[in-house]
Amino acid sequence: MSFTVQNISKSYGAQPVLRQVSFELAPQKCLSILGKSGSGKSTLLKILAGLEPADSGAFLYQQTNLGALPSRKRGVVYLFQEALLFPYLNVFENIAFGLRLKKKSKSEIKKAVLEMAAALGLNGLEERMPEELSGGQKQRVAFGRALIVHPRLLLLDEPFGALDAHTRKEMQQLFLLVSQQEAITSIFVTHDPKEALVVGDQRALMQDGKLKLYTSEAEFLKDEQTGLPQEIAFWHERQAQNN
Amino acid sequence: MRQLGKLSLYGLQALLYTLPFGVIFYLSVTPNLAYPHWLSTTFTPGHWQQLAQSGSGLSQSLGLSLVLALTVGFLATALGFACSGVLYFSRFRESLTRLAFFPFILTPVIYAVVLQFYFLKLGLSGSTGGVVLAQLFITFPFAFLFFNGFWNHRVKQMAQLVQTLGGNGRQLFTEFLAPYAKGALVTCFFQTFLISWFEYGLTSIIGIGKVKTLTLQVFQYLNESNVPLAAVSSAVLVLPPLILLMVNRKFLLKP
Repeated sequence: MSFTVQNISKSYGAQPVLRQVSFELAPQKCLSILGKSGSGKSTLLKILAGLEPADSGAFLYQQTNLGALPSRKRGVVYLFQEALLFPYLNVFENIAFGLRLKKKSKSEIKKAVLEMAAALGLNGLEERMPEELSGGQKQRVAFGRALIVHPRLLLLDEPFGALDAHTRKEMQQLFLLVSQQEAITSIFVTHDPKEALVVGDQRALMQDGKLKLYTSEAEFLKDEQTGLPQEIAFWHERQAQNN
Repeated sequence: MRQLGKLSLYGLQALLYTLPFGVIFYLSVTPNLAYPHWLSTTFTPGHWQQLAQSGSGLSQSLGLSLVLALTVGFLATALGFACSGVLYFSRFRESLTRLAFFPFILTPVIYAVVLQFYFLKLGLSGSTGGVVLAQLFITFPFAFLFFNGFWNHRVKQMAQLVQTLGGNGRQLFTEFLAPYAKGALVTCFFQTFLISWFEYGLTSIIGIGKVKTLTLQVFQYLNESNVPLAAVSSAVLVLPPLILLMVNRKFLLKP
């Protein structure tokens, strides 16, 4: 039941962006990928979503070669950094968007949307238009719109990157809670090591198109390439100075 | 005092707007006047009745102009929207966009003369289809350039989002692109409709006098010094654009 990514490579001209990326992802687990801008993490997500072709490699789910299917048939939903709500639809209609594409009945849509809105703390906001929402609320709606179609795999491309620290923390907690409730399998891309640590069950580092997987949280915490040991040392030093 | 000044200004504005229409209407209900006799004491609806008569030159021109402008407006908008969207993702985007400016370097009359040879060869001169095609040579590049600014990274990402949510090509258009671009589509249709509606040079040269649109009819009546019929056709000529302008305003002013 797991997802298998085998030796995915991608180059833009002579510039390699992904080099032989491989990993397995167990169902209902979240793989967080830490990486700087330009490391190739967004390209990997776009390839998995079917939005860009890979030069080589395979993407499998059970016995199905998802890599051979068009984007709309993969059941892999991409959540961008920006909420990208449809400005001509209200909150209810935005969340319902994927169900309307699947031609679900009105009663089914209403029930599912109201449940999702309640789970995401959006009750009472269903009639509001996107421009009337805060950044955090917009991201909740985008999250609900992605989750309501029950994707096989949810790809999150720095979804909380544009939010303030407080809202970001709130959204991370909400993501963990809803992922568990909805039994979501996901890949979460971020440039923030703390976020990678908090949201992921499995963790990886993307550097120059290569993916390095960590077997445990301790290994991730110790690796200087993540920047975490330096940050921990900084805070210890600050504390010592204050004492 | 200030109130009075404001009122006078509004009055003057209203007068300036309505005066040309008033003059056109006056000329359309009076017998054929000749200088210096511009004031008439007799009025007749006879010239307007020609519009209602099926088979009269005026009603035929009105029908033809409507069909022509609606067809050209619809085709140019649809093609411009689709092609600019496809080309946004193409590596030939810049060179093809530059090519779209070409029809506007020449005046429509020169452009028509250049095109006429090919239209004659293909047997398209003097036919409504030929005039539609000729007008598309101007309106399609216009629509293409109009929509060039619509496509951007955000639209691309939203389209990709629709795909990953399970939307097919048709749903991408009906559920996202059409409602998202509604204002731009209506405005472009309105503008290309107007270009076609008032087009004279291309239509007269490619139509070789056989395709008599309302704009051409106005000029013909003026050449014949038939002022009342020129006034009736002018009044009818400004009607659809006025209606479209009102519809367009409603669309554009919508939040």
